[in-house]
Amino acid sequence: MRGYHFGGGKSRWAPYLFLLPGLLLYVMIALGPSISTTFFSFTNATGIRGAPVDWVGLDNYKEFLFMGQASRDNLSALGRTLLFCFFVTTIQFSLGLLVAVLVNQKLKGTNFFRTLYFMPVILGAVIQGLIWSLFLYPLGGPMDSILNFFGMSSEFFGGPPTEAFGWVIVVQIWANLGTTMIIFLAGLQTIPSELYEAAEIDGANKWKVFKNVTWPLLTPSVNTNLLLNIIGSLQAWQLFLVLIGYRNGTQVLGYLIYAVGFGQTSGSVTSSFRQGYAAAASIVLFILVLILGTTTQFFLSRRERRILG
Amino acid sequence: MNVDMKIRRPIKWGKILSYAVLIIFAIVYAGPLIMLVNTSLKSLPDFMKSATSLVTSPNFDNFIDAWQKANFPRYLTNTVLYTVTATLVYVVTAIFLAFPVSRGYIKGAKIILFLFIVALFLPPALIPQFQLMLRLGLYNNPIGYILLFTINPIGFTILVNYIKTIPIELDEAAALDGCSYFKFVTMILFPLIRPAVATVAVLHAIGIWNELILPTIYLTSQKYYPITRGMIVFQGVYGSNWPTLAAAVLIMTFPMLLIFLLMQRYIISGLTTGAVKG
Repeated sequence: MRGYHFGGGKSRWAPYLFLLPGLLLYVMIALGPSISTTFFSFTNATGIRGAPVDWVGLDNYKEFLFMGQASRDNLSALGRTLLFCFFVTTIQFSLGLLVAVLVNQKLKGTNFFRTLYFMPVILGAVIQGLIWSLFLYPLGGPMDSILNFFGMSSEFFGGPPTEAFGWVIVVQIWANLGTTMIIFLAGLQTIPSELYEAAEIDGANKWKVFKNVTWPLLTPSVNTNLLLNIIGSLQAWQLFLVLIGYRNGTQVLGYLIYAVGFGQTSGSVTSSFRQGYAAAASIVLFILVLILGTTTQFFLSRRERRILG
Repeated sequence: MNVDMKIRRPIKWGKILSYAVLIIFAIVYAGPLIMLVNTSLKSLPDFMKSATSLVTSPNFDNFIDAWQKANFPRYLTNTVLYTVTATLVYVVTAIFLAFPVSRGYIKGAKIILFLFIVALFLPPALIPQFQLMLRLGLYNNPIGYILLFTINPIGFTILVNYIKTIPIELDEAAALDGCSYFKFVTMILFPLIRPAVATVAVLHAIGIWNELILPTIYLTSQKYYPITRGMIVFQGVYGSNWPTLAAAVLIMTFPMLLIFLLMQRYIISGLTTGAVKG
C-alpha cells in the first residue's frame, strides 16, 4: 500500500477495476479448470452438451489401471511414456551441453551455428513433423539413401512400432535441442573468464577445466534443463500425432488421453468422448510428472548444496 | 623451405575437432530444410524418379498450386486473426494485472502471484476447459477458441519481475503531477517495459501460431481452421504429392522464420529468464 498517490490518493478502486478482466480470464480458463480435473475424474462426463454427469467414484481409475486388455494397453503406454522421457532427456541434455560448449568458444561462425540449431524450436510440431516426414521419405529419400549406403534400411514411421517410436525420439530431440543449448549457453556466459585463465595458468587440461570449473558452476542451468526436459518429454505427444497418428504400440499417455477424451479422429462430438475417463488418465499422468519432477528436484538441490555450499 | 617452416603454426586439433562436430550437427539441422526447398521446386514426376536428385530446372508452380488448393488464404487469415486478437487481449490484461501486483497497490497481491505460480503445478486443464466451453456454447466458435489463449502464467511472472526494475518514485512523481492511474500505465509505464512486453508477446504469439491440438479439439468447421489444422488436412489429401506439400510447408514456415530472425533477441531472453539464477 505504499506510494499510491494516483487521483490524489483517492482513486484506490482504479487498480482493482483494471485488473479484473485479467484475473477473471485466468480463473475461468486456467485455474478453475485445473482444479476441477480431479472432480471430473470421478464422473462419467461425456462430450455431449446437456448430457447428465454422474458420480462414479473410483470406477475410471479402476478401469484405467486394472481391467482387462485395455488397461494392459494403458500400462504399456505409461511404460512407453517413461521410455520416451528417458531417451529424450538423456540424449537432449548431453547433446545440448556439447553444442553449447562448442558454440561458446571464440570461433568464427558460432553465431551461425547457434541460429541454425535453435531455429526448429519456433517452427512448431506441424512444420517439424512434415519436414521430417519428407526427410525420412521411405522410397529413396535422403535418410533412406544414407542408410542404404551403409547397408541398412528402415521403414521409418510406417515400420514396426518400436522403429517408428525410435524415429519420433530422433525428431523430438532435433526439434528441442535448441532450447537446451540456449539455456546452457546463458549459464556458460555467467562463468567469469578469469576462472578459465587461472585454471590454464595452473596447467589444467581442457577436460579438467570442464570438470572442475565449468560443470560445477553450470549447476543452475543443469537443474533447469533436467527438469524442463523431464517434465516436457513426459507430456509431449504432438509429434506422434503428426508423424505416426494413433497407432497401436506407439502411443504415449498424452496422446491416449486426447484419444479417449476427444475421439481418435477429428469430427463432430460423439458419445465416444469419454471425458471422465480421460480426466482420470490425465490425473495418472499428472501424478507421474509430479513424482518424477519432485524426486529430480530433491536430488538436484541436494547436489547443489554439496557443490555450491 | 626455411621461410615456410618459420611461419607454420602448431595445428590446433581442438579447433578442428570443434568445427568437425559443429558441421556434422549443421548437416543434421540444414539437411531436412534443404530437402524441403529442393523438393518444393521439383515437379512430381521428377520427385518420383529420384527423391534426392538436385533440382535442375526450378519452377514455382508448386507454390501457386499449394496456395490455391490448400485454401491457404482462409487458413492464414484465421491464424493471423486468432494470434493477433488473443495476444493483444492477453498482453493488455496481463499488464493491468502485473502492475498493481508488482507494486503491491492492491490487497492480496501476494495471493494473486501465488495463484499464478501454483498453476504450473496443477493437473492439466484440458477436460474441464472443454466442458466449460461446451456449456457456454462456445464450442466450434472463434471467440471461444481465442478465449483459450488469453492466459499465460510464465509471461505474467516475467512482466511482474520486469516492472520491479522500474523505480516506484516514478509513480509518485507522475501522480503528484496529476497523472491518472490509467494514463500512467498506458502512457508512462508501457513504453518503459516494452522489452519485456515484446518478449512475452512474441513467445505467446508463436505458441498460438503453432498450436495444433486445441484447434483439433475445438474447431470442427473447416471455415474456422487455422493454418496448422489446415496443413494436416492438406497432408491427408495431398500426402503423396510431396512437391506441392513441401511448397505448402514452406509457405507456412516463412512468416515464422521472419519473426524468428527479427525477434531472436526477445525469444531467447524469454526462454532463459530465471534459468541461470538457480
